[in-house]
Amino acid sequence: MNLPASHLGKSIIALSVALALTACTKEPASQQTSAEAEVAAEHVKNEAVAEVSNPFFAEYDTPFQVPPFNKIKDEHYMPAFEKGMKDHLAEIDAIVNNEAAPTFANTIEELERTGDLLVKVQRVFFNLAGSNTNPELQKLQRELSPILSAHYDKINLNDGLFERIEAVYQARDGLGLNAEQLKFLEDTRKDFVRSGALMTEEQKAKITEINSELSQLTTQYGQNLLAETNGFELILDKSDLDGLSDGVIQAAASTAQQKMDAAETDEDKAKYKDKYVFTPHRSSMYPFLTESSRRDLREQLYKSYVMRGDNNNEFDNKTVAAQIAKLRAERAKVMGYETHAHFVLEERMVNTPEGVYDLLMQLWKPALERAKREVADMQAVVNAEGHEFEVAAWDWWQYAEKVRKEKYDLDEASLKPYLSLDNVLKGVFDTSNKLWGLTFVELHDIDTYHPDARVWEVKDKDGSHLGIFIGDYFTRSNKRGGAWMSSFKGQSNLDGVERPVVVNVCNFPGPVGDAPALLSFENVTTLFHEFGHALHGLLTNVTYGSMSGTSGPRDFTEFPAQILEHWAAEPAILKTFATHYETGEPIPDALIGKLLKASKFNQGFANTEYLAASLLDMDWHTLTAEDELQDAGEFEKASMAKIGLINEIAPRYRSTYFSHIFAGGYAAGYYSYVHSAVLDSDGFAAFKETGNVFDPELAQKLRTHIYEKGSTEDAMTLYKKFRGREPQIEALLKVRGLDGSAD
Amino acid sequence: MAAQTNTMTLPLMRPVFRPLFFLNWLRLPLLLLCLLPSLANAHPQDEDIILDIELGEMQLQEGQIDQEYQAALKRKRLRKLASMSPLETFQLYVTAGFEHIIPKGLDHILFVLGLFFSSLLLASLLWQITAFTLAHSITLGLASLGIVAASGSIVEPLIALSIVWIAIENCLFKQTSKWRPAVVFSFGLLHGLGFAAVLNDYGLPKDDLVPALLAFNIGVEFGQISVILLAFLATYLIRKKAWYRHWIQIPASAVIGLVGLFWFVERVFL
Repeated sequence: MNLPASHLGKSIIALSVALALTACTKEPASQQTSAEAEVAAEHVKNEAVAEVSNPFFAEYDTPFQVPPFNKIKDEHYMPAFEKGMKDHLAEIDAIVNNEAAPTFANTIEELERTGDLLVKVQRVFFNLAGSNTNPELQKLQRELSPILSAHYDKINLNDGLFERIEAVYQARDGLGLNAEQLKFLEDTRKDFVRSGALMTEEQKAKITEINSELSQLTTQYGQNLLAETNGFELILDKSDLDGLSDGVIQAAASTAQQKMDAAETDEDKAKYKDKYVFTPHRSSMYPFLTESSRRDLREQLYKSYVMRGDNNNEFDNKTVAAQIAKLRAERAKVMGYETHAHFVLEERMVNTPEGVYDLLMQLWKPALERAKREVADMQAVVNAEGHEFEVAAWDWWQYAEKVRKEKYDLDEASLKPYLSLDNVLKGVFDTSNKLWGLTFVELHDIDTYHPDARVWEVKDKDGSHLGIFIGDYFTRSNKRGGAWMSSFKGQSNLDGVERPVVVNVCNFPGPVGDAPALLSFENVTTLFHEFGHALHGLLTNVTYGSMSGTSGPRDFTEFPAQILEHWAAEPAILKTFATHYETGEPIPDALIGKLLKASKFNQGFANTEYLAASLLDMDWHTLTAEDELQDAGEFEKASMAKIGLINEIAPRYRSTYFSHIFAGGYAAGYYSYVHSAVLDSDGFAAFKETGNVFDPELAQKLRTHIYEKGSTEDAMTLYKKFRGREPQIEALLKVRGLDGSAD
Repeated sequence: MAAQTNTMTLPLMRPVFRPLFFLNWLRLPLLLLCLLPSLANAHPQDEDIILDIELGEMQLQEGQIDQEYQAALKRKRLRKLASMSPLETFQLYVTAGFEHIIPKGLDHILFVLGLFFSSLLLASLLWQITAFTLAHSITLGLASLGIVAASGSIVEPLIALSIVWIAIENCLFKQTSKWRPAVVFSFGLLHGLGFAAVLNDYGLPKDDLVPALLAFNIGVEFGQISVILLAFLATYLIRKKAWYRHWIQIPASAVIGLVGLFWFVERVFL
């Protein structure tokens, strides 16, 4: 179900069927015969059995400490979480109650050692809840979230703990700490401070009150949005399907069928009989907007989408959004920040609102100009077709597609035979080999959580073990949509050398018939991207696990992932791995040419809608506590008028359905994507400048200063060490065709 | 109180901790269900999170997943296979063939037992086994090489019926007829198609198909011989008794026939 969407758009979730995997073999009776366990067994037999045979309670006796997936069963999680939390609190208490004066070693480093069991079970649980879930895990997830947040609150609010940290912090200059230790101390302390450790009781009470209101509002925001998205359906007759392809029609028919099955009354069932249903879900809407030649219906569906949460009904999100923004501003004030954006950005690479605005506005002008050119291109097609109307927002997909066919025609189907999963993996492995000498050996005898999850041992240039890479590429019905990287084991050098176990999870279509799994180029980009995150997790080499791998600021951590995408699109590299799965012939130059040209298609639109949303996000979160409660409709209108957004494009998310910032964690952070994109384009340009995309010296710098460092140094410092200067936007404009090259 | 900020900051900065702090102010179950694993580390892809929010919780229904799992298992086997030496591959397929009789091939076990209970004469038994083996090797080979194909919905019920047929003959005739090996041969053709279906599900290496096929067949023969041997050992002391036919041969065949009949009904109607 992958739909081609903009650069940001990724696969659609296949929310369907699933059943718990029953593949786990029955756990053999434990060999542990400790007297304690036996005594316990007599008293509380069940618990003791669970304790003895629970794989989380012993060190994993597997190669490379990959979790023993075949031994872990659903009933092992809860006891492990419970014991993990109990142990964690006891370990914290031991630090607080230590009679010795606070030192870096007995406080900061000791804190780093706490919570091992909890982390161990969390890693497995949350990974599997996303990639291989079942009803039991879903239930556990709901139960665990309040329990876990209460648990971490206890630690965050531990005054005794903060006192010790603060004592170490105040004495930091005389402790002889190295740079990594000093940053670790500062980060740890800062997190406590940002959590309110230095606030008065009165301030704390105020914050608690605001937070409680905010949590209700964000929940309500999400629920309203869900109701609004599910609340509209475009029910069509066979005669309304002009222009739609068979696949789209089939999907709409099956949506109608599902609705009919779900309907309770006969009357409701009759409504969907022999009909075709489209909804404001992107997976349903985009194909319709692209293909339907019924302009009136396109308008209806499009408006239902952009008006979500803005219908002045019980699910209206305008006031909710405004209240959330207002409360965040008030909270920022209590905590001593000018606005919420100041508070958030303090920890980011671009660390001021001015910096973000500056970045966004530099890109805004070329993006908007390009978008206007795209409108003109589309209007020309409209006119040529003999229509009289002016291109409107709901025409965009339809006419952009027509322009695409005419100007950038690339047949995805002709590309796929060159992009078998195994070839692409070879491509990404070869790339890492040429850059850093890494080698990958597939291991077939390690148990994973699903037979589609493959395991490789990653070795460094000198043959030493770097870590384990798990690649879980195919979509399945109990896997969350999208693509991500995570880890089952972290990296640390604190007490001996711990090498990581990282995982990439994607949703590529599996093989059909006898052909191998074939990817689209968008899939290839995703694979390289996630692999870039994986390398960040694999090459990392720091003392404190908390600072390893992808732990840096969000507007920086996408950089190591996104830069790798550039190698995937490099013609010379494509030719080495993109070989036809039947004939073995390398991809033809003409096809590469088309592919690269197509990557600049519709970038005016994609960038404009994205930047508009990013600016809207910033506008909401640079309100001060003194500003009045806004009318969200007016506020958004003014905000968009200020930057001159054209009517043909809406912000990627309007205020009433901007879940990232009002229900998720992206407030004053939606800009991060483009910031990382500036870095990756600028960073890759450095390789191009040397004339060798595998330039050894530069590759080594990239490894030493970026992939290995985690968050042990300030992100901008790291970037400058790699690049030799601060990032510039010109390379990004070129990559996206916003420099005039797409015309 | 880190949970009160929306920056996911926390004193213990292990990446995996971050999302959990996120929870407190979030309290949006729908979101949580999808956010945690991805925020647990590098970047959630925002579009997908939003889709999750807008679509609600992942709806799990039973079915399909097992099918996906089996397909994945096959892929895993084939990947492993590609990395194995020819000898290892051969061993793997011998084992697989054996396992597809014992313990997985209950219908084939019953058929072979049906043959076993047909006669006390070793020669007769050998003829039947030979006919059966020859026949199913032929169709297994032909079907695996893609030369013949038959739908499981036809083959499977017929296999069940073949068991019934053999069992009825056992009950009716004290000694096997002359044309029995021919009947068994034709049934063997059917069973070969059945083996081909399971072998296809199991997966065959693309490059070295014939050795693997041979190995699988050898495994099947070992399985069959084991069944006969076990049956022979189990009845060794009583085979010569006068009551053997009345109390063992006929009742055992009757049970085999009834099970076959049940399978037939199950495979056609249920």
